[in-house]
Amino acid sequence: MTRGAVQSVEDVVKNIIAAELRVSRDQLNPETHLMKDLGADSLDALNIALRLEEAFRIKIPDDAIPKFLTISDIVSGVNDHLSERQ
Amino acid sequence: MRRVAVTGIGLITPVGVGRERVFQALIEGRSGISRIEGFDISALKTTMSGICRDFRPEDFFDEREKTRLDRVSQLAIAAAESAARDARMDNGLLDNYDTGVIIGTGFGGQESVEEYCGAYFNGHGRRTAIAIPKAMYNAASSNIAIRLKTRGPNITLSTACSSGANAIGQAFHMIRYGQTERMIAGGADAPVTPVVMDAWKDMRVLSTKNDPPERACKPFSANRDGFVLSEGAGIVVLETIESARERGAHIYAEIIGYGATADASHITFPDSEGEAHAILRALRDAAVQPEEIAYVNAHGTATKLNDISETEALKKVFGSRAREIPVSSIKSMLGHSMGASGAIEFIATVLAIESKKIPPTINYEEADPQCDLDYVTEGARELKATAARIAALSNSFGFGGNNAVLVATGSNDITA
Repeated sequence: MTRGAVQSVEDVVKNIIAAELRVSRDQLNPETHLMKDLGADSLDALNIALRLEEAFRIKIPDDAIPKFLTISDIVSGVNDHLSERQ
Repeated sequence: MRRVAVTGIGLITPVGVGRERVFQALIEGRSGISRIEGFDISALKTTMSGICRDFRPEDFFDEREKTRLDRVSQLAIAAAESAARDARMDNGLLDNYDTGVIIGTGFGGQESVEEYCGAYFNGHGRRTAIAIPKAMYNAASSNIAIRLKTRGPNITLSTACSSGANAIGQAFHMIRYGQTERMIAGGADAPVTPVVMDAWKDMRVLSTKNDPPERACKPFSANRDGFVLSEGAGIVVLETIESARERGAHIYAEIIGYGATADASHITFPDSEGEAHAILRALRDAAVQPEEIAYVNAHGTATKLNDISETEALKKVFGSRAREIPVSSIKSMLGHSMGASGAIEFIATVLAIESKKIPPTINYEEADPQCDLDYVTEGARELKATAARIAALSNSFGFGGNNAVLVATGSNDITA
């Protein structure tokens, strides 16, 4: 299985955000806001969505991306998609 | 008609970064060509290129910015920012609707195209959601505007190897005819990629004299066997002579003429008739007499065809005097940076006028009866005026039959 199965969804999300936004993983907590705290913009959000789709083998609909504001938003969004798939 | 000055210079080339270092290397006859290290060259016949090894993106961009910008945009922004700083243009002078940008590029965001195509076709390389804004041809000029806050016309043009010269020529005319007050203009290209090297290989126009790389490019020499591909950026700040004087800016030279033509004959074979007409139009635009031209910075690619055709064009324009004019090709040292070359060579022409030193054509070994001009092969030479003022030409000719010629002068009456 992939590493995603071993790591929690939150771990994978944090790794993706840390890599895409070039920030330290340590500064990320569930309430961290991508735009306000990390300076991300809409292009970053698109790249994060692409990485999430690759990592979790899910399809993120267009209208879900603007709702990905904090780490916990993303984690619950990914969990929703994973449960839909099952 | 307003007069236009060159007041800022930004240069990133395989022989160095910055006006002083680059021009010093050119005067010393130093080559920037080296063996390719960035990718697998085992299937290539040409294994060398001109890479800007002294360019440190981290001096200009943080990690996130780097991931957003193709190498061509990095080179262009760094050169533009350096030129604006060199011209001492603060934000008040740039952040307005009277300052524009024109950038020429032959290949645009080629590296990003290849990365995305690799991921798309065979799963190599990394997908990204921002492939389009990285790869689009106008990424470089638009990113310059975003960086420097220039809000005037923002134009990208692509005329292959004459792109950089066309960009500077068009920018010059925009200021001369009152459409803008200041322009950031020049060329940038980063075409040294696996796919482009392979495509050029099949055209059989690249030099295969790989060993040693620095001696490969031999413009006008009978044993030349093609050009050497390279990358780089050359960008100038142009403004009216009046504004330069008012703010006490250093004036490197005055740009006085621009001529552009199309051969309208063949997509790759050069035509000396079209080239000669571009030179004539530039001279007429500059209102200079042919006798005033004291130096020609040649297109001089070191392909069999270009060097003969360019020599013929110069003879058509200058007649028997063609043999008395020093003609040099700095591509012998920098290689051919495609859309950047015309801009880099215009800058070298300006610096030659200012310093009164002509950079040489290196690697010249054997006389070619069809290339019988004075190619400055013995090393750098003093640039001597042939009339009251020094005027010099910079030739750029591109695939597609595009010809762009610029004329600059450094007469004493322009300095404040």
